[in-house]
Amino acid sequence: MTCTETRDLFSALADDALTPGERAALDAHLAGCAECRRELAGLLRTVKLVRAMDPVHAPAGFVDRVLAAAQPAPSHRRLVRRLMRPWPTLPLGAAALLLIGGLAVLLFRGSPEQQRAAHDQLEAARAPSSERNVAAPQSVEAPPAAVTAAPRSDTDLSKNYSEPPKSESMRAKTAAPTTKTDAPSPRARAERAQATVPNASRDSVSSAREQEAQQRLTPPAAMERREAKRELADRGQEALAPAVGGRSAAAPSAAERQPPPVGAATPAPAMATAKAQAMPQSAPLSRTGPMTGIPAAPPDVTARLRVAHVSGAERALIELAARVGGRQTGRRIDGGRLVVELAVPRDTYAEFVREAAALGAVSIESQATDRPMLAVAVTVSN
Amino acid sequence: MREGLGADPPGLLPRLRAGDPRAFEEFVIAYQHRVFGVALRMLGNRAEAEEIAQEVFLRAHRAIADFRGEARLGTWLYAIASRLCLNRLASPDRRLARGDDALVDVPASTPDAAAAAERAELDAALRAAIAELPDDRRLVLVLRDVEGLSYEQIAEALALDPGTVRSRLHRARMQLKEKLERFA
Repeated sequence: MTCTETRDLFSALADDALTPGERAALDAHLAGCAECRRELAGLLRTVKLVRAMDPVHAPAGFVDRVLAAAQPAPSHRRLVRRLMRPWPTLPLGAAALLLIGGLAVLLFRGSPEQQRAAHDQLEAARAPSSERNVAAPQSVEAPPAAVTAAPRSDTDLSKNYSEPPKSESMRAKTAAPTTKTDAPSPRARAERAQATVPNASRDSVSSAREQEAQQRLTPPAAMERREAKRELADRGQEALAPAVGGRSAAAPSAAERQPPPVGAATPAPAMATAKAQAMPQSAPLSRTGPMTGIPAAPPDVTARLRVAHVSGAERALIELAARVGGRQTGRRIDGGRLVVELAVPRDTYAEFVREAAALGAVSIESQATDRPMLAVAVTVSN
Repeated sequence: MREGLGADPPGLLPRLRAGDPRAFEEFVIAYQHRVFGVALRMLGNRAEAEEIAQEVFLRAHRAIADFRGEARLGTWLYAIASRLCLNRLASPDRRLARGDDALVDVPASTPDAAAAAERAELDAALRAAIAELPDDRRLVLVLRDVEGLSYEQIAEALALDPGTVRSRLHRARMQLKEKLERFA
């Protein structure tokens, strides 16, 4: 066998596709030809390089785009599903920012505590500094009824949305919202929502939206107030002020759980801090409120897993994550579907995907793999 | 390299033929990465690859009733994708538009932050070398060494004799080896 004939077999050798006769002849030639051995090593190295290239993934939303193209007139079901699941069609970061920002604005505008806190801070900013110094204790000791009955002018409240906070006065007044434990009636809230903006400047649609936002926010807000009220009963009015001060160390972590109020007026971050400092007990409850189901940050990888049994697949996913050195980080329901949140080491991510594919039909919607530990959100459905 | 093309998902073909929309969704989910992968490696442009990959599924959707089931669904899709890619590459507009940097924008899907510059250079050289292969050789190389198809599956998808597959693959690999000699 010549060198040329031998080298024609190299490629098939790499695929283990030689007949026994070809293999024997090849081995016999290689045993006596150093140049062919060098050539073979080079070719095998090249094949190895090509095979080491990572398989590419279809872009996020590809499946939806194909399905939409296959059915030019989207059915009602498809439309609803797309509305419920807008993530794959948007850049994840931008979508997350929009959602979180929008909800933060709703929270800020809708929460009576925050409106009152902003109002009080603006009041304090206008007051002489000597009055400001005593404002906090006074507000702490003030009976809830007095707070509820405090008059608010339209202009004062409308300024809450536009005026930047006076930072010093805000710090002096962080305890103020704590005492406002008396929840106003829904009707009173609706009236105040309408009263916050002059009639001429807002049409009926936006007023209706505000009322709707208020109504959406009512349950968690009421729960927070009930929680604070229970605390008042437990501790007594006199003990409240030092207790609030003592717990303020926990405020930053609670405040961090609040989303950044993108697009909101500048008082909003301070409002969140003030609320967290004043009502630390409400922080866990707030996670069950309107923010439920919104991940703190967009995941590195979003995937869908179609299985026969969701609960079994959830267990299997968690076990799989643990097996590859990761762990479960969360669990939520998004649009009626279970989302299992996992942290998976990048080094074992490929193994994770491979084994996850054995659980059902896996579709990777997006992935950005530049971190050692990947945040993976798997939507599990059947 | 992707894992070899296995058997079709059980029961999928009859449901596809019956026009079950859920089955079609499963079909797209199951094969989207393979189809897109071939298109991207052949065309070197993500937008164009997605356009072709969509077209592959739409054609399959329209033709599923006529699919006799003699080949695997995956092989059939590879056949459609290969044909569409070669047609696109052969079009006059495409030839004018295509430069030497085809495939340069194919990213490594798992960029390693700690990778050495030499590794990055090698990756770039490898992609460029693959892009410079003649279309028919590149297609066989992609189907075998990237998508993991067997000689027989490639022969079936491309309607070629297995000997031709072996020969094209050999030439493609030898050409790549020569281009990457300096990295040896």
